[in-house]
Amino acid sequence: MRAVPRAPRIEGRGLLTLLLIGAVGLSALSVPWGGDLVHPGGGSAVGSIVKALARVELSPEFLRITAYAAWTTLRFAVAGVTLALAIGLPLGVVASGVLTRSGGRKTASIVVARFVLALLRSIHELVWAWLFVVAIGLSPMAVILALALPYAGILGRVFADALIDVPEEPLRALRSAGASEIKLLVYGRLTIALPDMLGYGFYRFECAIRSAAIFSFVGVQGLGYQIQLSLDDLLWNEVWTLLIALAALVLLVDAWSSQVRRRLVS
Amino acid sequence: MIAIRERRPATRPGLVRVSAIGFGLLAGLAWGQVLAGGDSGAGDLFRGDTWTRAGEFAGELLGLGAEGESAFVDGALWQNAIGLSVETLAMSVLAAGIAGAAALVSFLPAARNVAYGELGGSRRAVGVPGYMVLRLLFAFTRGVPELVWALIIVFVFSPGVLAGALALAVHNYGILGKLAAEVVENMDTRPARALRGAGANNFQMVLYGVLPQALPHLLTYLLYRWEVIIRTTVVVGFVAAGGLGREFRLQMSYLHYDEVALLLICYLALVIGVDLVSAGLRRLAR
Repeated sequence: MRAVPRAPRIEGRGLLTLLLIGAVGLSALSVPWGGDLVHPGGGSAVGSIVKALARVELSPEFLRITAYAAWTTLRFAVAGVTLALAIGLPLGVVASGVLTRSGGRKTASIVVARFVLALLRSIHELVWAWLFVVAIGLSPMAVILALALPYAGILGRVFADALIDVPEEPLRALRSAGASEIKLLVYGRLTIALPDMLGYGFYRFECAIRSAAIFSFVGVQGLGYQIQLSLDDLLWNEVWTLLIALAALVLLVDAWSSQVRRRLVS
Repeated sequence: MIAIRERRPATRPGLVRVSAIGFGLLAGLAWGQVLAGGDSGAGDLFRGDTWTRAGEFAGELLGLGAEGESAFVDGALWQNAIGLSVETLAMSVLAAGIAGAAALVSFLPAARNVAYGELGGSRRAVGVPGYMVLRLLFAFTRGVPELVWALIIVFVFSPGVLAGALALAVHNYGILGKLAAEVVENMDTRPARALRGAGANNFQMVLYGVLPQALPHLLTYLLYRWEVIIRTTVVVGFVAAGGLGREFRLQMSYLHYDEVALLLICYLALVIGVDLVSAGLRRLAR
């Protein structure tokens, strides 16, 4: 096999691999390896979980509960993503710095917008949700906002990068035709970057379903809430039904969004 | 990339248009139901007392008006929080390691071109049923979020770093496995076929024809996922009782909001630190 050339810069990767393995090994030290890592009843729990898979709960009443919970989760995801688009787009435009031309103000607006975006996306949506529930009370709006903020932070950064990456030639043509900065943005940058932006937005829609499902932790209805109820009663056959429904919902949206992305992002 | 996009016929947006309209309808329905429900909370956002309460909460986070010493100048609290940050970091690295290792040993048979023998490999080795089982496993583990995995895993494992890391690892295994399998499906198959033509056996073909192309991608994806994992480790800690998440939950329930803010500062520092380290390591991987 000597004829096969070694990949260049293998040293960097080799070093990186060793580093990562070392880091994982070091992290494993923080686990108290000993007798009680597994519950005394852990083995029998595994048994009942596996056995329940053979009798997944499929009664019409429970399927109706599952379907309604799935719609509730989907509803929060859709509402959250649309609000995230509404917040993320203007922030992304400012963060891209394409609207302002001059030096000092441009730099300042870019830095501030990028900082806000970074702060929004650094905090997990469930942490936002908990803070909002304490701050303004538990309501659908509090949860939708909690989903929208970190997603706006992610979308805003991706949008900003997409707007910056637009090639110069079409913009120069518009500029020489006398287009203002606003027109340049709307007819030039946004039009050209739209497929990438929509594609990414659709991808986040898939993630939003999982996020919406776990808001049950702060007391919101949906698939996660039903999973917690069934877990409380140790009804593993119901848990399986709900897990499968959640995964199916995510896969459905994933299939949809990847089809759209394939058409949009060449 | 742009050149390809310009070549795309402008008159074929069928699915895209239908999807846009479909999503619009879905959004209208969702918002309609949210706002039609009397207790949506949308009205609260425009009421003064909501914001007074939110302002009070923000003040409490900053430690204003608290009796006694502020949490921010308490050395013991900082020490505790930093210890928990280290534990959280360890949990995230362990999760990424487990997910990466599991994906590494199972992504090959999950690639369509490998499973169907298009690379000239042996079809009997694992084959089509193995491909389907693995893809189903990826889809299921990926579709269920980390927190739900944690809720289930604490029925088996004692709450702690390992339980949390496992919950994170299960979900990320599905993501990494799918991504790595897709890399193999989309890779340049000429080296593998050339090796096959030169008489390489299955093992040699994979070692020299597939892995050199696939592994750098897997490594990059793993580092990207680590950035997501560190954000989620706190959330999993709510349930799996490890690291900053456990303490966050505790202090929220005690209404010690300045301590909550202290934990949030550590959380942000961790997230920013991991983003920087991951970006540096990815540069090393390139």
